[in-house]
Amino acid sequence: MDIKKVNEDGNTLEIRNLVIHYISDDETVKAVNGVDIIIRSGKTLGLVGETGAGKTTTALSILNLVPEPQGKIISGEVLLEGKSVFEMTEHELQDMRGDKVAMIFQDPMTSLNPVLTVGDQIAESLEIHRKLNKDEAMKQAKEMLEMVGIPAERAYEYPYQFSGGMKQRVVIAIALACSPDLLIADEPTTALDVTIQAQVLNLINELKQKYHMSMLMITHDLGIVAEVCDEVSVIYGGRIVEHGTLEDIFDNMRHPYTKGLFGALPDIEVRRSELKPIKGLMPDPTNLPPGCSFHPRCDYAMEVCSKVAPENRWLDDTHCVECHLYKDTNESRL
Amino acid sequence: MSNTLLEVKNLKKYFKVPKGMLHAVDGVSFNIEKGKTLGIVGESGCGKTTAGRAILRLEEPTSGEIIFDGIDVMKLNKKEMRHIRRDMQLIFQDPFSSLNPRKTITQTIEEPLILSKMIPDSDKRFMRVMELMDTVGLAERLVNTYPHELDGGRRQRIGIARALAMNPKFIICDEPVSALDVSIQAQILNLMKKIQREMGLTYIFITHDLSVVNHFSDDIAVMYLGRMIEKAPSEQLFAKPMHPYTKALLSAIPVPRIHNRPERILLRGEITSPINPEPVCRFANRCNFAMPICTKEEPALIEIEPDHFVSCHLCK
Amino acid sequence: MESTTRNYTTRKEFFKQYKKKSRMQEIWRMFCKNKLAVLGLILFIIIVAVAVAAPLIADYNQEALKINVPQRLKAPNSEHILGTDEMGRDIFARIVHGARISLVVGLSSVALALFIGGAFGAIAGFFGGKTDNFIMRAMDVFLCLPDVLLALAIVAAFGTNLVNMTIAIGLSFTPKFSRVVRSAVMTVRGIEYVEAARAIGSTNTHIITNHILINCIGPIIVQVTLYVASAILTISALSFIGLGIQAPIPEWGNMLASGRAYMRDHAYIVMAPGLAIFVTILALNLLGDGLRDALDPRLKQ
Repeated sequence: MDIKKVNEDGNTLEIRNLVIHYISDDETVKAVNGVDIIIRSGKTLGLVGETGAGKTTTALSILNLVPEPQGKIISGEVLLEGKSVFEMTEHELQDMRGDKVAMIFQDPMTSLNPVLTVGDQIAESLEIHRKLNKDEAMKQAKEMLEMVGIPAERAYEYPYQFSGGMKQRVVIAIALACSPDLLIADEPTTALDVTIQAQVLNLINELKQKYHMSMLMITHDLGIVAEVCDEVSVIYGGRIVEHGTLEDIFDNMRHPYTKGLFGALPDIEVRRSELKPIKGLMPDPTNLPPGCSFHPRCDYAMEVCSKVAPENRWLDDTHCVECHLYKDTNESRL
Repeated sequence: MSNTLLEVKNLKKYFKVPKGMLHAVDGVSFNIEKGKTLGIVGESGCGKTTAGRAILRLEEPTSGEIIFDGIDVMKLNKKEMRHIRRDMQLIFQDPFSSLNPRKTITQTIEEPLILSKMIPDSDKRFMRVMELMDTVGLAERLVNTYPHELDGGRRQRIGIARALAMNPKFIICDEPVSALDVSIQAQILNLMKKIQREMGLTYIFITHDLSVVNHFSDDIAVMYLGRMIEKAPSEQLFAKPMHPYTKALLSAIPVPRIHNRPERILLRGEITSPINPEPVCRFANRCNFAMPICTKEEPALIEIEPDHFVSCHLCK
Repeated sequence: MESTTRNYTTRKEFFKQYKKKSRMQEIWRMFCKNKLAVLGLILFIIIVAVAVAAPLIADYNQEALKINVPQRLKAPNSEHILGTDEMGRDIFARIVHGARISLVVGLSSVALALFIGGAFGAIAGFFGGKTDNFIMRAMDVFLCLPDVLLALAIVAAFGTNLVNMTIAIGLSFTPKFSRVVRSAVMTVRGIEYVEAARAIGSTNTHIITNHILINCIGPIIVQVTLYVASAILTISALSFIGLGIQAPIPEWGNMLASGRAYMRDHAYIVMAPGLAIFVTILALNLLGDGLRDALDPRLKQ
């Protein structure tokens, strides 16, 4: 994918042609197969895809945390504010993690250390990156708690004393303690009840504005994307098959998979007698279909789709798609 | 009333815990007609899963009446209970832990047939298993596979096949698609609807996902902390929700649209404890419309419109 | 529903078309990947083979039992590969025949313990509550007694023969097995497929035999191999103090005991039985570890 030359300064994150495989004795899992991502300063990108599409691996690569030895970065680069992550020394990486880039995961139960108070866990980040002493760090930790809607006195409590939603807020407080430039959220609300999810998403929106943070929101839920994101990248089989602004994706979708994702959703406004699922299953990452990896499930597949992998094409300044249907045209073929 | 398949009256299930009595299900009542689907929705801790199990007496109810097809289920002994289980089945949420990892999928589907002695002939049983696999869309070649070799969607199909084996009249589906990817969810839901039409099944569909329940149910009951706070036909519930919690729940669903986005109602505070609850409205501490009476008296369940029940002091 | 055309009406016809995939094969493959485990298995097979073929390897009466004083305390040489003991008996022959006793008593005592202890443990683990309490407190009583002491008591009261030894050791291991089985059962009992079995109308007995025990086999097998090692040690200990197999019947423990006096100048007398015990226990432990790892359901990557 050609990186558009518009707005190149002020890109918090640039991922170019990332290829990551997990190699074991028996087989190679092709998790990420040439992914390009750009997140501009202060913007939120939604990375949408289902299980096994390569989302989490991509996210881990930003922090250079892809599990070794199986995980191998075959090619590509990850640039964080212009600096290549793969070329950073261990020291630079440690400085970066938690300070410039923070990550929050899906399950708040396992993200928190059960034997430390929540205040200590927030303060830890501050002590490491801001070189504060214990008292100052704790003071700021309490402020963070208030910011995420938890009374400051609870800083001395342990994770087990909090509910799921509150634990996730603590996780957010830890992530934001050092005002990172980029927040990576990997399905942060999937494990939460829907009313709590609403509260947490609302909180994330408020904090994003306040800190002028860039964010990578990884999710499979298009509703969350509509709520929180500015731009969307749809990932399938380890590649970005469509990318654009919210309007591009929600109103003017082009890729058959994107259409399938929307079609499979039960809409509370419209009761249909039958949902329109995408036929077939997610591709096996150890044995990806030749040509376009979506072709076995695609209602619009042509002969070329099983032979040649489609190339990325920009339809306009913001919207690009990777599909043989759009080789010569920008009009919707769906 | 002869069209009613299941009548549940004042179902209660309490658990003794160190701190006192946990009111998991606290007086739930409803009727379901043959061939219909009742959706039970609520968030974690509302008691919907316990209620489902209590109806089947997999958890022994503390009190209440369950009348299934005219039979008082609470009065049955163990043997009679096992017999009636042929007609009342359960589909589980986790497609992995609900299947015995050491049994092939065919053994799992065949087991109910062996236990109930419905088909004594081994070959006829086998053919029935093949028929069931066909019904749920599992290929022949999967016959001697183990659960861990298959993906979540296929495993859930096995669970469905097992539930269908004895030709039940009634199936409780406990979050059957929550653990699945969106595109697979749709496949499984379509399958379940198709089976319902073809076999005349009655369902209870337990879920926390409101968008799914709308698609699937005729009536919906909303539970909060062990009580049923609203029940109405699906269209009515979505068009005219009455209880403040229902309204908040509906507005909290992330809508996959960027235009005409609905107003979000955000709830305050946290859910109260189900242990030794006070006889007041349990939602009062989070309700944006709470009145003084709400913290003093528990609202009764009233039929405010035909078939539309609400338990709220605001709606009288 | 469209009906698929099927070209079979019986199970047999169907399976002719499709070959059965075996979990056993998968377990074997995982096991073989572990070199130490395979070593343990090979050693164990050798030991069993030696025990079974003992009369073919060395004549019992002529070599293991016959006292031959002029040949006593001879160091390992061409005629007696492991030397002779204080009575002139060929040590190698005695080791070989001793293997029989160790293995027979070791395996059967553990089998007894597994059967009794396992049954109690399964019942206690499955039903919980008062049943569990009652059974486990009863087991605790036995657990308080050191294995050797309990075996001692029984053997001292009823005489030292193979059957009594087996029973004695078996009983002393029963509470240990009951614990292992109980905890394995309790783990599995809470898993959903047990509830699913109940939902389709299983009786408790069916659930225990068909669903729970099958899934506990992993940890149980491992404990079995470990406890067989323990049993062999216990027999040797009993024999060592003179309450096990009595001389002149060869048994590794009593060989150690009688050879002790001559240890300083004729080390081979105790090294042979000592090594035999060591190698057997090592083999069993490696085997146990290997089995535990191979049986671990390796599900997703």
